[in-house]
Amino acid sequence: MTPLERLWGSFPAFLMARRNVVRAKTRSALAVAVILIGVVAIGAIGAGGVAFQESQFETLGTIGADVQVFAGEDNENGYLTATDVGTIDRVSGTAEIVPLKQENADVIEDGSTAGSATLYGVDEPTELYEVDEGSIPANWRNGVLVGSTLADRYDLRPGSKVTLSRTTIEDGEAVRRTDEYRVKAVLAQAGQADIANPNEAFVLPTREFDDDVFAQVIVRADDATTANETAMAIKRTFNGRRQLVGVFERGDVAEQIDEAFRLINLFLVGIGAISLVVAGVSIANVMLMAAIERREEIGVLRAVGYEKVDIVRIMLAEATLLGAIGSLLGGAVTLAIVAVINDALLGAPFAYSAAALQYVVGGMVFGVVASLLAGIYPAWRAARERPVEALRG
Amino acid sequence: MTDSDDGPVADGAAPAPDGAGVAEAVPAAASGADAAGDAATPIISGRDVVKEYVTGGETVRALRGIDFRVDPGEFVAIVGPSGSGKSTLLNMLGLLDVPTSGVVELEGVDVETFDDTEQTRKRKDTIGFVFQSFHLIPTLTAVENVEVPRLLDRTPKRTREVATDLLERMGLGDRLGHYPEELSGGQKQRVAIARALVNEPRLLLADEPTGNLDRDTGDQILAEFDAITDEGVAVVTVTHDDYVAQFADRVVNLIDGTVREDAEAVTG
Repeated sequence: MTPLERLWGSFPAFLMARRNVVRAKTRSALAVAVILIGVVAIGAIGAGGVAFQESQFETLGTIGADVQVFAGEDNENGYLTATDVGTIDRVSGTAEIVPLKQENADVIEDGSTAGSATLYGVDEPTELYEVDEGSIPANWRNGVLVGSTLADRYDLRPGSKVTLSRTTIEDGEAVRRTDEYRVKAVLAQAGQADIANPNEAFVLPTREFDDDVFAQVIVRADDATTANETAMAIKRTFNGRRQLVGVFERGDVAEQIDEAFRLINLFLVGIGAISLVVAGVSIANVMLMAAIERREEIGVLRAVGYEKVDIVRIMLAEATLLGAIGSLLGGAVTLAIVAVINDALLGAPFAYSAAALQYVVGGMVFGVVASLLAGIYPAWRAARERPVEALRG
Repeated sequence: MTDSDDGPVADGAAPAPDGAGVAEAVPAAASGADAAGDAATPIISGRDVVKEYVTGGETVRALRGIDFRVDPGEFVAIVGPSGSGKSTLLNMLGLLDVPTSGVVELEGVDVETFDDTEQTRKRKDTIGFVFQSFHLIPTLTAVENVEVPRLLDRTPKRTREVATDLLERMGLGDRLGHYPEELSGGQKQRVAIARALVNEPRLLLADEPTGNLDRDTGDQILAEFDAITDEGVAVVTVTHDDYVAQFADRVVNLIDGTVREDAEAVTG
């Protein structure tokens, strides 16, 4: 007797279940196939959804727990002043703030306007942006940073020159000024939802702008809770009866987007789960046929001393075995499919995220459990028959 | 309908309350035997056993109030016309069925007192079955089929030893790993007998044990039964085969649900 045989001997119900699974090969294969399809449906839809979500977030960019503060509808200035910025800084406590200036400008090439662009003014661009080419000088006082889209459009590289024309207010009068700047760095491509998206913008030091005019202030909170508290504090400080500032919590949006993705995924997985329910019905059918087919055999087992519960155990072992085989194969197929999806959406076939793997494992567990449940009725039916009736044929 | 008879010691059927038909049939048998009755505790015995079935709205009396007893080490053949209920009696002896009225005692204990679990356990511990047409499990090898009654004991090594011994004794030492479909009728029957013996029963029940076998193979089977009875195991067989009946220590002739003790009427 080999060790393997002794191992099987310790699980007699599984010995018989295993042989019975092999006996009706085609039928078992079909039962396994439906479970496999069900597991793949849940796993691939769930994990694929997660990959899709990730790829969407890659496009959107990170939506952190930032709070954006800008002039409210009752603010007569239409912008935030340096005093406002100071107040926001104070109210925000230890959180870092990034005051942002903003204007529109025309890009001048060969003396004529080639297109328009956004100008951002920040003092510490490294807080907001990543550099693709070139570098941002430590003490940045002149020169311009170029967004990636504009860099491509106007063929700008570190060291190139660009001429920008814009309208500024000087001494209460609108003045058109045109300046030439040297490009210091090209910024990395940013996500669509990134704050002060630089793709179609030039970034200048704040000294190139009016002193007292800020388009918005970004408060970088550590997490959504702090962000929310800060937002409330800012609103309390500025807004009495009149709405002097608007506050936008990006964390809220992030949560809403997450929730939307989660619901869509849940819905799709639910559809996948239906296929596994169908698979369970098919297992029940297979086991019922087996119970009827093996009536005499079960009668023999009962006659030679197997109790009802033993028969139930053997039948359930068989159903579970079918489910386990289907689930294991289904899991493997799912991982392969998810690898293809990952490759297509994320560019990395093995970028399985924990959430994606949860769907795969969940699908497999569901497959086994559904099979087990499906086996209960047939097993009970097989066990309850009196052996004397069963043996009569 | 069937009746069986008990051992050497037998008792005829109690004519008692039931039907006139019973009363007529039994007394003849009853008379001679009484004297010896007290010798040993029977493996299984029955008093005034009646079994009725309801089929298609009609009540069929398969056994009409018979008495029987089977003692250790004897070989009893139950014979009777086809459809006479011999199998009903065999099921009763095998605790697969309970009487409608009357008392069946397994080693002195009324089987009515057993619930399903106890009945099953008693079957396992005390009784070995050799079914008509073998009823081997096609997915299991010869040795695994023999192991079946003990598989759930989770003593795989010991069980394998016992099963292998039994098959070797049956002359099937070279067929351990064969599946039933790879075995001849006689070989299957011997596997079935080995299976019936694997739990060391005190009562072996065999339904038409030589039914589909040629004479030589049948002889082997009967020799095996003889050897088993020498070890104190009682063998009860239902048969149509006169040859088997002649081999038996005692023949119980069942006619119309009652016992006839005159073996000759049936076998000869």
